[in-house]
Amino acid sequence: MAAISISESEFEKFREFFYRKTGIQFESSKRYFVDKRLEERIELTHSGNFRAYFTKLRFEASGAELQQLTNLMTVNETYFFREEYQFQCLVKSLLPEITGRKRDNTPIRIWAIPSSSGEEAYSIAIYLLEFWAGINDWDIEIISSDIDTKILALARHGQYSVRSVQHLPEKLLRKYFTRQAENYQICDDLREAVEFTRVNLSERIDTRAYRNFDIIFCRNLLIYFDDASRKAAAETFYDAMKPGAYICLGHSESMSRFSSLYKVRKFPEAIVYQKPLLEAR
Amino acid sequence: MALIKTQTHQPIAHDERKQARDCNSLLLELENDNPMARRWAARDLADCPAASAALVSRLQLEDDVSVREVILTTLTVMGNEVAVVGLVNCLRSEKVALRNEAIEAMKQLPDEVAPIMRGLLADADPDVRIFAVNILESLRHPEVESWLISVIDHDPELNVCATAVDLLGEVGSSASREPLLRLKARYTQVPYIQFATDLALKRISDG
Amino acid sequence: MKRILIVDDAATVRLYHRQILEAAGYKVYEAVNGIEALEKSLQQPFDLYVVDINMPKLDGYGFLRELRSQDIYQAPAIMVSTEAQTSDHQQAFAAGANAYLVKPVKPEQLLIQVKLMIGEARG
Repeated sequence: MAAISISESEFEKFREFFYRKTGIQFESSKRYFVDKRLEERIELTHSGNFRAYFTKLRFEASGAELQQLTNLMTVNETYFFREEYQFQCLVKSLLPEITGRKRDNTPIRIWAIPSSSGEEAYSIAIYLLEFWAGINDWDIEIISSDIDTKILALARHGQYSVRSVQHLPEKLLRKYFTRQAENYQICDDLREAVEFTRVNLSERIDTRAYRNFDIIFCRNLLIYFDDASRKAAAETFYDAMKPGAYICLGHSESMSRFSSLYKVRKFPEAIVYQKPLLEAR
Repeated sequence: MALIKTQTHQPIAHDERKQARDCNSLLLELENDNPMARRWAARDLADCPAASAALVSRLQLEDDVSVREVILTTLTVMGNEVAVVGLVNCLRSEKVALRNEAIEAMKQLPDEVAPIMRGLLADADPDVRIFAVNILESLRHPEVESWLISVIDHDPELNVCATAVDLLGEVGSSASREPLLRLKARYTQVPYIQFATDLALKRISDG
Repeated sequence: MKRILIVDDAATVRLYHRQILEAAGYKVYEAVNGIEALEKSLQQPFDLYVVDINMPKLDGYGFLRELRSQDIYQAPAIMVSTEAQTSDHQQAFAAGANAYLVKPVKPEQLLIQVKLMIGEARG
């Protein structure tokens, strides 16, 4: 079989399509990176050439190939304090705004989805305990959900590799973890503080009970969904949020590809999306 | 005060939807002053096919984008004739947001939209023809390229052709070559058409 | 270098406008709809916007209304659309546009407007 290669025009065509779908724009300098991955997928899907592969990418009803490719084109690792600027935004901007307008003493509710193996939800918990003075005045509930029960078991268990905790300051690592052979075990107080639940975001029955959240973290999930599922997920979140609640997406994700339901808000630390405070008319 | 777990684990079976959920009361709810009530009604009306007409007329009046989105989703799920005709009528609306929402909804309905596509592409209103080409952008249908070719060969309106050329650069095969050259020759005085046809031709010949 | 944000859902139109403006010495950025344009405007200042009307998720009018309500540098905006009715022009100006061009634009037509709005890019 002749080696597959991507022409300049094919690269341009793909670049425009991928940008339209995901909001990720590759510079020409990324040509080699993009070509390699395209060639790999063309070969693995036995498409033979770019043209056949591109047609599959655009028209496959399940959107599975686009998801595969997006996975390859984005680095999706999870570790403690990943995209820390959002946690800074949480404690410096979002929570002060929420407590400033809150008229009762009910708990502030945070939903982190997908939970994956729990690093994000526990990072939020640590951040609140360490960097938010309001923790003395307010109750906070952290709920973290995933579709995968095996990964939820790992999250509840809370044991992590060195790699996973490498961005944590030494002080916090000592305070909240104990070393166990090759790994780090998160402390019971934190395990108690986060509720892990199984949810399929596209099942109405599953998401019905999720209401009245003040903040949702949904990072690096919707970018892998097809257009219809993104829209449905954005609506599910809308129903799960209080008026004025916030949603944080991953750093390579843009609400411009998902939904028009939310207001774009700029805070010093990050761009965040907000459900309108007052529902129109 | 601290990090706490949810106090109660009640699976919330009774949520905000207080109204009995039969089709008639849902139709009444669709006129409720509270947008939240209208949203829920529009969502639950998915099980009431006879409600598509009411949803279509509500859609034209509805000012709340979150309610419009649910109505459009419900109409897309229904996908019946009344729903599709209702979506087509939105393309003629003066409201830009509604028009674009309808375009996005129709992209999700290849089987329902395909039979009326020729009619849309021949509509007397050039704006509607542009929107029809916009729908083709994500419509999963084997005839997309041949529809686009017919647009650039026959549509008298420059901007309708221009919109079609943009898409042909992405989906066009060698079958589009001659029609693109003909369009280019027809509009030698229009720099944009020269640029767009050259770009599409380059992408097709390289591909 | 003056920075211009092109907001249009059609890739060919973005590329066409980009080439014209880059050739005249401007730095060009792109967005496919009003929401992305708003996200980018909140992250970095632009000197000018070139905005289409019909776009998914958030259209050109909606974008300008949102932009004009933000507490950021308010750069001028040229609306560029296929719609040629007087009512479209009126809506565009009401939403916060400063000029209106009907598609397809000729390069010199676009450049004249751009220079009127933000001045020469190259002396």
